[in-house]
Amino acid sequence: MSGAAAIGVDVGSTTCKVVAIDGTGALLDRRVEPTDPRIERQVERLVGEIRATAGRELPVGATGYGRKRVAGARALTEITCHARGAFARAGRAGTLVDMGGQDTKVIRIGPSGEVLDFAMNDKCAAGTGRFLEVILGRLQVPFEGLAELVAGASRPVPVSSTCTVFAESEVISLVASDEPLDGIVKGLHVALASRVAALARGVPAGDEILMSGGVALNGAMVASLREALSRPVRVLPDPQLTGAVGAALSVLPGPAPR
Amino acid sequence: MILRRVQYEAAARAVGPFLAALDDWRQRRRKRPARESPFAPPLESLRALKDMMMVHYLSGRYADGAVPVAWVTSGFPVEMLRTLGYHTVYPENHAAICGVQRIVPALSDAVEAQGYSRDLCSYVRSDLGSLDTGRSPVGRLPRPDLLACCTNICQTVLYWYRDLARRFDVPLVLIDTPFIYGEPAPHQTRYVVDQLEEAIVVSERVAKRPLDREAFSETVRLSREGSDLWGQCLDTARNRPAPWTGVDGFFHLGPVVALRGTEACNAYYRTLLDELKDRVSRGIGGLKGEERHRLLWDNLPVWYATREITTLLGSQGFNFVCTTYTNAWAEASSLIDPANPMESGARSYSQIMLNRDLPNKLRLLERLSREFAVDGAVLHSDRSCKPYSIGQIDLKDRLARDLGIRTLLLEADHNDPRSWASELAANRIGAFMESFS
Amino acid sequence: MTREPYIRRQRDEHGRKSVAVLPVHYPKELLTALDLLAVEVWGPPGAPRSDAAGRIQAYVCSVVRNALAFLASGGADVVDAALFPHTCDSIQQLATLASDFGGWKKPTLTFLHPKDPGRPSARRFLVAELHALAGRLEALAGRRLDPERLTAAIALHDEIDLHRAALLDGRATLPLDDRALYALLRRGEWLWPEEHLAELQAARAKLGTGRPAASIPVLVTGYVPEPSAILEILNGAGAFVAADDYAAVGRRVVRDRRAPATDPWEALADRQLAAPPCPTRVADQGPRMRHLEGLAERSGARGVLVHVVKFCEPELFDVPAIRRTFEARGIPLLYLEGELEAQLSGQAVTRIEAFVEMISGAGGAA
Ligand code: SF4
Ligand code: SF4
Repeated sequence: MSGAAAIGVDVGSTTCKVVAIDGTGALLDRRVEPTDPRIERQVERLVGEIRATAGRELPVGATGYGRKRVAGARALTEITCHARGAFARAGRAGTLVDMGGQDTKVIRIGPSGEVLDFAMNDKCAAGTGRFLEVILGRLQVPFEGLAELVAGASRPVPVSSTCTVFAESEVISLVASDEPLDGIVKGLHVALASRVAALARGVPAGDEILMSGGVALNGAMVASLREALSRPVRVLPDPQLTGAVGAALSVLPGPAPR
Repeated sequence: MILRRVQYEAAARAVGPFLAALDDWRQRRRKRPARESPFAPPLESLRALKDMMMVHYLSGRYADGAVPVAWVTSGFPVEMLRTLGYHTVYPENHAAICGVQRIVPALSDAVEAQGYSRDLCSYVRSDLGSLDTGRSPVGRLPRPDLLACCTNICQTVLYWYRDLARRFDVPLVLIDTPFIYGEPAPHQTRYVVDQLEEAIVVSERVAKRPLDREAFSETVRLSREGSDLWGQCLDTARNRPAPWTGVDGFFHLGPVVALRGTEACNAYYRTLLDELKDRVSRGIGGLKGEERHRLLWDNLPVWYATREITTLLGSQGFNFVCTTYTNAWAEASSLIDPANPMESGARSYSQIMLNRDLPNKLRLLERLSREFAVDGAVLHSDRSCKPYSIGQIDLKDRLARDLGIRTLLLEADHNDPRSWASELAANRIGAFMESFS
Repeated sequence: MTREPYIRRQRDEHGRKSVAVLPVHYPKELLTALDLLAVEVWGPPGAPRSDAAGRIQAYVCSVVRNALAFLASGGADVVDAALFPHTCDSIQQLATLASDFGGWKKPTLTFLHPKDPGRPSARRFLVAELHALAGRLEALAGRRLDPERLTAAIALHDEIDLHRAALLDGRATLPLDDRALYALLRRGEWLWPEEHLAELQAARAKLGTGRPAASIPVLVTGYVPEPSAILEILNGAGAFVAADDYAAVGRRVVRDRRAPATDPWEALADRQLAAPPCPTRVADQGPRMRHLEGLAERSGARGVLVHVVKFCEPELFDVPAIRRTFEARGIPLLYLEGELEAQLSGQAVTRIEAFVEMISGAGGAA
């Protein structure tokens, strides 16, 4: 691990991610844990571990809602870091959809990795990973096999409520009226994807969409998004680490790697 | 020629929501034969209503180019436009049809994508969304030559019509009715009269003909008569059992909204009134079973869930016998004097409920409650309509306290089903009904 | 409220009665001419002061809900009357709700703005409505309105606006942070106008003596700069408000420098109509967009912040046009909705900071 050149920290509301990258931006090391309310201590420990492996001091970039609580780090918002991280990993400009637990962002990335425009969901949970989590939990549908379940559904059962609370009761009544479970789950994904598609308005037609964030690991969501946006969606490698990688890139000495 | 004219008058006004609603009703009935309808067989007049609106809607498609077309707010003093030969379109009605058909989410998405907030009135989002997407349950609305906006229902309509004026690049006539706290001040009435005069000038220019003041006076007479007849129809529900349900009123409202000031409109209400009176004399009620409890409805209908709500209530013997919404059109032209249409028109159109203070609304609610002998009231708290909804929490408490009736505040949106939680509403309504036993 | 001792002093030392005024536009000159102190109530921000907010549905803006809670909690009992301009459907309903159904027991005054004021009928009505309000205010003040004093009050407010305009337009050469500048400008919402004028004059002396610490100019359009943390976040991220179109601030600064009409009532009506275009008076979008473009051009704004109150139809209706306008000019725009909360949410902070990072190019290069 002698090649480590920078550390990136992404303190999200649900998970805390710490990565090390080398001078070309390649991912060398990572730590992912549920976020501890005592952020300072957790970050210090995780960064310490990575430093120890690297064997020397490294510049630290921080992002996420706890970014300002990371001592000695350059703090930048998730928007800027996700753009940088996605740009480095995809190797090109484009539109990124990042779906995390609390936030969904759509970021337009320019030809040198800069942010051209961005949009975020409004403060309620509708349109975020949390929405799905709550309702799937209520339906007792496990994450494993979700993509297959949805892919196998013959038709989506429309779920019109976008408020998490309303949708929960709507879904329960759909179950009670004997609508097929796979169709309901598909309907949920369709509803969520349409919320995201609304955020992504004005995206140039035909563009392949890049996707990051924990929800990108849910194949059913990726498929629904592909349908809602009617264009290809490409999931970035290690999608949940995109922000942390971007934070590390922002403190990499020398010119930004392409 | 005259026949054609009559046909046109009967046909060429904006489409009301009831047609679609009726279709929707029938479809639902077909789809769910299992659920027994709690309502008495439909009124015979429905057929006449349907025919009238059908012809009307078809001819609307051919209106542009043939006659001047005006898009009009529901509270606009339409008599001048009627006399000038305008074909009138009511975007609010058109939006309501979209609401009944539950296509509002798709329409709204289209305008939300341009930056229109979901917190704007859902009628506006439906209407602009329909223009942008070209989707409409009635096929197509004729393009306006004139926009006619009166702020007596809300200020929202003015923002809406400004947007339409930009899209269509046509003149907008405005009747800005100062909100009445207590009694109207003379300078406020004067302002409305002045504006009526200004509006006539613009409307004449667009229609390319002068307003015949005698014919105007006649339209005003017909309009007032139409309002009166409508009021009489509503009043038949004072009888026990009421010969129809409040929901029927939402549908039969069409002509007095969209064809007010025409003989065809009045003829229709005469027929309807006869039938209602006949039902009363034979003791036939709007519900199939016993009318156990009589209810008042406040605010706009929940267009996409009207059936759902009334079926739930009707199956337990609860019937809506009066609504502040349908009553508004019995009031609209009631004070107009054919001998002095300007001054009296200004007064009449300024004094509708939505343009007056809350004590006035409370008096109206209490009067309706007493005259129709209701023992409960459902106040629809409409997320989209602030002028109609602010104050309802106090009004509800006063009704309960002063009249000792049961009340329910029902949260919804009149046109956007995304703000409607069916299960939660059913629970609230269930609890409300239980409170009577 | 910290303003309370001030209001009492004004009464005890100058014998001035005071009037609570709801947003946005009103003929303040009439109050000044009658020696009445105007004290504006923009909500107030923060959590509602009493549970009377629950008498208005949660889908109504927080300005109106907070105002009812504030009035009902006795927060404004120190004043002698309340004036409700007809700003929107919600304030219009608040006026009758509070005074007829509880919350406000002292006299209620209203003031109606004619819409589409270019029409002869509207102008006539405006003058008549000004007279009607003056009559109510005379009764409250217990004195007749002296036309000379009205002329003097118009001149005073004209001068105040002259200074306010100078400070706003020369913003980039004023060594103050946004919080300090807005605190100064917004004290005009309750200070006796002559005292406000003195403060403005003192601040004006600093024009040209430096610059704000932040360097990236942005244009802000919206309702009211609350919570003021928004200004700190903006400054902390490196940007400052170079051009203002807040309803509470810039939209009430009359820049019309024509000599006033000799008849004070005509002059007063002219001043009402000369304020920058405001959606709460249903201003035409064309002139409003040209006004905003002018502000952006003169200030060199690199971004536009649209900061509105949730559920505020007047402001919300113009948002699509604002988006179109600045998209066409290639100026990035951030849309932010608030509910007069005491604290800015973490997400709002992130949005503002990301926006500034974006328009400043931070993060584009390491
Ligand atoms: S529903 Fe209410 S806000 Fe909407 S147009 Fe009608 S009166 Fe105005
Ligand atoms: S914030 Fe908007 S809706 Fe609320 S009172 Fe002000 S103008 Fe009216």
